[in-house]
Amino acid sequence: MKRDALILFALAGWALGVPHYGSEFAVSMALTCLMYVTLSSSWSLFCGSTRYLSLATAAFFGIGAYTSAIVLESAGWWAAIAMGAVIAAAVAAVMGAAVLHLRGTYFAVLTFGMTELIRHAITYWEKQVTGTVGRVLTTVPERDTVYLTVLGLAVLAVATSIVIRKRRFGLALAGIGADEQRAQTLGVNTRLVKVAGFALTAAFAGAVGAAMSVRWTYIDPATVFNPFIGFQTVLIALIGGAATLWGPLIAAVVFSLLAETLRLHVPQLYMMSLGLLLILCVLYLPGGLASLRLETLREWRSGVAGLFKRKVSDKVGA
Amino acid sequence: MNGHPLLEAREVTVRFGGLIAVDRVSAVFAPGELVGIIGPNGAGKTTFFNALSGVVPPTSGELYAGGLRLTGAAPHRYAQQGIARTFQTPRVFAALSVAANIDFGLQFAGRKREGGLLLRDVSSILRLIGLQSQAELPAAAVTPSQQRLLEIGMALATRPRLLLLDEVAAGLTESEIEAMAQLIRRLRNELDLTVIWIEHAVTTLLRHVERVLVLHQGRKIADGLPSEVVRDAQVIEAYLGDEMDHATEQQAA
Repeated sequence: MKRDALILFALAGWALGVPHYGSEFAVSMALTCLMYVTLSSSWSLFCGSTRYLSLATAAFFGIGAYTSAIVLESAGWWAAIAMGAVIAAAVAAVMGAAVLHLRGTYFAVLTFGMTELIRHAITYWEKQVTGTVGRVLTTVPERDTVYLTVLGLAVLAVATSIVIRKRRFGLALAGIGADEQRAQTLGVNTRLVKVAGFALTAAFAGAVGAAMSVRWTYIDPATVFNPFIGFQTVLIALIGGAATLWGPLIAAVVFSLLAETLRLHVPQLYMMSLGLLLILCVLYLPGGLASLRLETLREWRSGVAGLFKRKVSDKVGA
Repeated sequence: MNGHPLLEAREVTVRFGGLIAVDRVSAVFAPGELVGIIGPNGAGKTTFFNALSGVVPPTSGELYAGGLRLTGAAPHRYAQQGIARTFQTPRVFAALSVAANIDFGLQFAGRKREGGLLLRDVSSILRLIGLQSQAELPAAAVTPSQQRLLEIGMALATRPRLLLLDEVAAGLTESEIEAMAQLIRRLRNELDLTVIWIEHAVTTLLRHVERVLVLHQGRKIADGLPSEVVRDAQVIEAYLGDEMDHATEQQAA
């Protein structure tokens, strides 16, 4: 735990320096990285340990973004972030109470459906009641304020994961993931733990959404409730290793950099390459990037060598 | 104990679609009892256990623990009331160490309850079930019979007043069964636990329990001393004589 805290401290210090020496482009890249670090680390915190695959990240992100767009001018930056987190958590608590008794595909599909429901409800509301398609954010804080806020949220998400792993709450989440009924018979109030964990995940997504909305200056439901935000969060967590502490962080950085590079250089192959990467990861690194060790590489090499030898001996035999 | 029985089932029925797995079973369990439940395959023993531990809510009927109504409550409330259980197929947390598996119960249901010296901490429970030397091994790596002991240890870590044991002796060798029975008696005597023990092997069970309930096709057909129950006409009928004959012979001998 001490070592984890130190690593986090060092990484945060390094990220803190980016706005001072980095170009505008580098800062923007770093911001995207930090956004996905927060989203995927907080997603793994609940979904990785309990094995509930939630696709609702986009819903909480969008709720945060809209909260911020509505209250930023009157309430100020910090209040907008806090409100984004609280409202997203409240929605997650209600959603969770309704669907967290379901498992597997049912849960995943329902969380996705609810995200779409929220997106369409807000689109409808804006058209009918407010009379707009999107919202323009006029008073936006300085670039560095946004950067530092998202950095703070990323650090907080990883720090929360570090702390929770050592607490009863983390043990309860892991117990639910391993054998929910067994955990119940040993005294875990699984319903309460699941709703609380789901709401905690949502609070982070809501806060990041609230902070990121100002970066776009113009938001509409299609942008901030974009289901890709939810998919990418899941992909990153799975590629990194959802059950691990550092996997989601590593994958968030790798994934954001790779996605950006591919989009710039080979826009036609961008999505295909990411898809291929995911397939390879699932096939050859089921534990995620965080499980990658020197032995894994050696195993691959001997695996390939073995395959080659077999082919040769087949030919000799024939 | 305010005069209430430790656990009471009143007319408990569990229905799965058209199948009545448990049919209006009533039973009362007093502190310190060592009770066995027997019955042919499919008699509803495990389903009755699931109802008694909150894992399956009864379709109708009531459950009380120490006078507190628990019908329909989540399993953790049963655990909080001191009702612990094991599962027929051990359901240990495979990735955790043996010691961490024990610690789980201590962290939750066992946290606010009196443990006494024997259930004071992880190492005292490990000593009780005899798995000290396996403490640091992952639970998936110990033998099946050790996993059964670990199941009991996990249940004990909730510091229960009543222990439900579901076929803990199944698949064990003769000497292991004897050791298991000694352990169960010891738990009852030294921890003052009420133990309810399901076993498919009737003879083993009847040797060790003081009272036995017989279930047949979901209904309770007998409830009494082992020596009386084995002479009960309905019970003999239910078992078609085969297993029960051995039991009677052994009792007579």
